[in-house]
Amino acid sequence: MTARLRSALGTFWRRLREWSGDAAYEIYLARAAGQEPLSRQAFYLDGLRRRYQSGQPNRCC
Amino acid sequence: MSRLLSSLAWLAVACLGAGALGAIALWRGEPVNGVFFVVGAGCTYLVAYRFYSAFLAARVLSLDATRATPAERLDDGRDFVPTNRWVVLGHHFAAIAGPGPLVGPTLAAQFGYLPGTLWLVAGAVLGGCVQDFLILFFSLRRDGRSLGQMARDEVGRRAGFLAMVSVLAIMVILLAVIGLVIVNALKHSPWGAFTLAMTIPIAMLMGVYMRYWRPGRVLEASAIGFALILLAVVSGQWVSHSPEWARVFTLTGPALAVAVIVYGFAASALPVWLLLAPRDYLSAFIKVGVVLALAAGIVLVRPTIHMPAITRFVDGTGPVFAGTIFPFCFITIACGAVSGFHALISSGTTPKLLTRESDARLVGYGSMLMESFVGVMAMVAACALEPGVYFAINSPAGIVGGTAEQAAATIAGWGFPLDPETMHALARSVGEETLLNRTGGAPSLAVGMAHIFSGTIGGERLLGIWYHFAIMFEALFILTVLDAGTRVGRFMVQELLGKVFPRISRTGSWTSTLVTSGIIVGAWGYFLYQGVLDPLGGINSLWPLFGISNQILASVALVVATTILIKMGKMRYLWVTLLPTAWLVTVTLTGSWQKMFHEDPRIGFLAQASALEQQIADGRVPEAKVADTRHVMFNNRLDATVTGFFALLILALLAEAALEWYRILTRRRSALLTESPYVRTKWVEGSP
Repeated sequence: MTARLRSALGTFWRRLREWSGDAAYEIYLARAAGQEPLSRQAFYLDGLRRRYQSGQPNRCC
Repeated sequence: MSRLLSSLAWLAVACLGAGALGAIALWRGEPVNGVFFVVGAGCTYLVAYRFYSAFLAARVLSLDATRATPAERLDDGRDFVPTNRWVVLGHHFAAIAGPGPLVGPTLAAQFGYLPGTLWLVAGAVLGGCVQDFLILFFSLRRDGRSLGQMARDEVGRRAGFLAMVSVLAIMVILLAVIGLVIVNALKHSPWGAFTLAMTIPIAMLMGVYMRYWRPGRVLEASAIGFALILLAVVSGQWVSHSPEWARVFTLTGPALAVAVIVYGFAASALPVWLLLAPRDYLSAFIKVGVVLALAAGIVLVRPTIHMPAITRFVDGTGPVFAGTIFPFCFITIACGAVSGFHALISSGTTPKLLTRESDARLVGYGSMLMESFVGVMAMVAACALEPGVYFAINSPAGIVGGTAEQAAATIAGWGFPLDPETMHALARSVGEETLLNRTGGAPSLAVGMAHIFSGTIGGERLLGIWYHFAIMFEALFILTVLDAGTRVGRFMVQELLGKVFPRISRTGSWTSTLVTSGIIVGAWGYFLYQGVLDPLGGINSLWPLFGISNQILASVALVVATTILIKMGKMRYLWVTLLPTAWLVTVTLTGSWQKMFHEDPRIGFLAQASALEQQIADGRVPEAKVADTRHVMFNNRLDATVTGFFALLILALLAEAALEWYRILTRRRSALLTESPYVRTKWVEGSP
């Protein structure tokens, strides 16, 4: 029971981090194997640039 | 056996939903309970998701689970990232849920709880969800292309241009009207103004934290930001009790409008990491949290609905906004049932995150169901107020009078008893000087939410805290939309003007940034300021304009979807898009016509301009007010022109699309789809 609860909480925490963008850098690093990755700060700023300077709305009415 | 049990279970869900909706629709005499709304809407959504969205997925769109999505094929860990479908659902919902489904149903409650609730449920299931799902799917098959690009590729170049212009136009009206909602919620409210003002340095602190101290640590920064926001809400009470500080934060409507305009300009021009992004993160957390808390609160408190099922104002004489139930109930509800703006999100980031094509059903159709549910909860919160209180808060002074005594007399004359002392006591209990004439929907929704929340935690003692928490919640994500929308509008202006003046399209240029920010902020700022000066409160003219533009954008999306279905050879299923399109076009064209040419000055812009002109000619306007009155006349004529422009826009797009449909159906043009080639997913069993 405790193990199941711990597993459920772990999944929730992982999904929350993915949803919020907290885990974005780890996800990026996992995919950037074999090439020089951006630093955490550069990746964060690059993400903001792509998200908010695309000319495409990302928040609705 | 399990199939039989499943059928019986779904039959039970359907009967429960039908019973709850039937009770809402037919129950007369005793007040109905808010739980019926939750059960009726919830069961309808479950049945619609299980059966109608499955039909759309299997028969109409033929979702292919073996087909690799753009996120899989183009995976770069940045723009294209295969993501868990529940995470994408959260992303998409946080993106589409804005102030519309909260404010629209609150305003439409003037017709009674029944028309708005039925449209929220039926409109979402048959229109809004279909639009969101189809556009998401079509974008998914086209590497995440935007609605404008799809309109250009599938319908024609002119259609692409019309889509872009309509997006820019809706953006201007949207930003003006949500700015007006903030102004009306915060004017003469030092507690609310202080709390919202504090969100700016709090967001900046979060921005510095995530930029320099702990790059990208969104959860940590948001937790700190949330704690500080709560502190700001609580300390706002102290500010409102301090004579010196209360004076600083007690602002008039025009002063607040200027502050919002200056803020919008700054948010558009400042680096995104400093203000826009941290506010966006914070707002997403609070938005999802409050929506869940409101749902739980309604179930726990089980509020009684005091508003009648249908009020006398279906005849068009409503004090909150003028216009008959058709078409204005549907235009006013807007985003809670069908929102054209969602098509921009469905063809933006979301299709670049989906791991499987089949996930489009949950994310596209499911998210819109959740948004509609938010609208139903807003309707419950508004209708749980005593009708007299609801009308006193939401009616402009020009209609009910500027004092509690005048308002009580007027509203009692409509058949809704109201004791002036009730309004004084309510204002005191939420820490406001007055709640009279607070048009825009946000304050009455905040009162309704505060009653529900305080019924769960804290009781009457915390009513003021909950009220200002609700106001902060509404204003916070309205400002997020304002920030992000102004920025996107700026890029659109840069792109459009860049075709004529190439230098202005350089997004990195400070001159270009300042000039184009000024243009977009000036455009929505003008409409905002005219709304503040409008003697009828502004919402009366601006919210229908917003509703019309939003529903026109939805028509654009559905026309694009219909064109693609024709090209796919899905003629048998064209009704899934043609029915909502026909409804939306009928509603928007009728609404546009009435807003321009209706003879009642409260409804028709031109009639109001003529009435004011006549008043000046008759000498009924004091000399000192003549200039202001002429300004209002000009604004009415401008609003009529904008409304006519929207109507022409949809007619032009319909003509363009109809021509394309005719050419394809008569084989004068081949039905070429611009889908990306099929690639088999590596995640399917048996696949490499």
